[in-house]
Amino acid sequence: MSQFQGNIDNFGMDTISLAGPLKSKLSAMRAAGFTQVMLLARDLVGHPDGWRAAVQEVKDSGLRVTGFQVLRDFEGLSGHLHDYKIDIAKSMLEMCHALDCRVMLACSSTSTHASSERPKLVRDLRKLAMLAIPMNIKIAFEALSWGRTINEFPQAWDIVTEADMPNLGLGFDSFHMFATKTPMDELEMLDPDKIFLVQLADFMWQEIKTVEERISTARTFRVFPGEGVHSDALASLVRKLHELGYRGDYSFEVFNDDYQQMPLDTVANRAKKAALWLGEDVLRRSVPLPNAMRLKGRA
Amino acid sequence: MNHPHAAVSVGARSGADREAIGEGPNPLGVLGIEFIEYATSKPQALGNVLETMGFKPVARHRSREILLYRQGELNIIVNAHGDGAVLTERPVIAAIALRVQDAAAAYRHALDRGAWAVPVHVEVMELNIPAIHGVGTSRIYFVDRHGDFSIYDVDFTPIPTVNQHPAAVVGLHLFGVVQYIGNDRSDDWTEFYSALFGFTALAPDVSFGILPKGRILQSPCHTFYLQLIEPEPGLLDVEDDECLQRIGLGTPDVPAAVAALRQLGVEFVAAKDAAHAARGALARTTIGGAMFELVHHLPG
Repeated sequence: MSQFQGNIDNFGMDTISLAGPLKSKLSAMRAAGFTQVMLLARDLVGHPDGWRAAVQEVKDSGLRVTGFQVLRDFEGLSGHLHDYKIDIAKSMLEMCHALDCRVMLACSSTSTHASSERPKLVRDLRKLAMLAIPMNIKIAFEALSWGRTINEFPQAWDIVTEADMPNLGLGFDSFHMFATKTPMDELEMLDPDKIFLVQLADFMWQEIKTVEERISTARTFRVFPGEGVHSDALASLVRKLHELGYRGDYSFEVFNDDYQQMPLDTVANRAKKAALWLGEDVLRRSVPLPNAMRLKGRA
Repeated sequence: MNHPHAAVSVGARSGADREAIGEGPNPLGVLGIEFIEYATSKPQALGNVLETMGFKPVARHRSREILLYRQGELNIIVNAHGDGAVLTERPVIAAIALRVQDAAAAYRHALDRGAWAVPVHVEVMELNIPAIHGVGTSRIYFVDRHGDFSIYDVDFTPIPTVNQHPAAVVGLHLFGVVQYIGNDRSDDWTEFYSALFGFTALAPDVSFGILPKGRILQSPCHTFYLQLIEPEPGLLDVEDDECLQRIGLGTPDVPAAVAALRQLGVEFVAAKDAAHAARGALARTTIGGAMFELVHHLPG
């Protein structure tokens, strides 16, 4: 950054907010001044020249990979369903590793085939984290607000604590917290070193009445922080996380059907505006923090 | 059950589907290290180094360019076959073989807890030795044939006229393996070895030998150690260098072992003082990668 630019190094975009091929998304982010990107497995496997070519494109872009998403409906299955999900997890971990990405996101299961028994959920999450250890990957476990058993972050935190693996922590998504109206005070119990990723998004409704509406809003109509009606809450959340000691990455998890129909640079610049607002106005990071040099691979 | 390893709790035998029986301290029934495997494209150069360290070549693999070296209880396999992997001149520790009660059960136990299986490629009439992935490109084998009828009897042919059980130089035995790890990775690897195999971390003030850095894990059978070493603080870009770095050989008398190995042609890094010299020694080898450390230790 130069002295005339804001400090947005802690913030990154997610490829899901942009239309088009991976390469164009990466250049748009880069051009807007971002230094990191959150990737989906689909970004790699959908590449016309294969996933290894996609990995190379990401490396060539110079963007650091914030995290790799998303392993769904993993925990609580048994028999052949469990074995199948283990294969999926291993495949995703291999791609994550090839990207030199240190965080993989897993979100809580929505599957009606999954058990709700706690020891089973704990055992499966331990197994997932164990699979990730040799690859130096951290698993960020996120409570999806329509998850079957785990649907609020305090529950995800409890299970992460119980599983007690050094590389298993919390993936925190503001959308789900606001959607379920989980009290901000609950953040107090979190260990900031075990928050492996924070995803931020705003949305346009004050209230979400049904689970169906929650799902459709989450998947089609999220907006960048500062663009919706929850800006004050987002600012408080980010300040609170900072006070707790969280110094990791913030990624904009913005699924929006309209953004998929807009020029990439337009969307990337909206994201930049959000990053500047959070970096400059909310966290007041006008200069790089002292000792903020990152060791390679640290999440 | 009056079996000495009644703590083995695997599969259906554990009765876990009927009642909650916790795992014993040695869930895999680990008994020690059966062999250490090096991979190199220059097997003779490594062989020469091993011979100066007191090892003798005793057998050849039936179908691949693999040699078995031995001294006392310690087996070292030098693999120049590669199995499709690219071999480097610099020898690397490619595998640790754990001696266990029941290899199939140990393998299953590890996979159930999140280990990565290694696909096997065996030739006819060769043993299928189950393996999981370890640090870097290394593997961890599970071997349950030892003693009178060993894996070597099946897969190896003895070199004629050579004593199959050469004595160890001044009681040399395997003390442990040093593993280099990335920044902030001690907890991850401690969890890996404790959850999968039952290793326990020793208190930070316990150390052996002359290179005490890092965290020491004791094997569940209390016969050997793993030492996890992170990079010096502030070093960048070392993340990908995780590997099994060297083996430690225990001996009841370090100065005597140093003197005996010097006779064979080994050079040692000079000791600071007599106390230091009694605790351990570091052998300088002519080829990179194959480093040996001597540690004052009585065989377990």
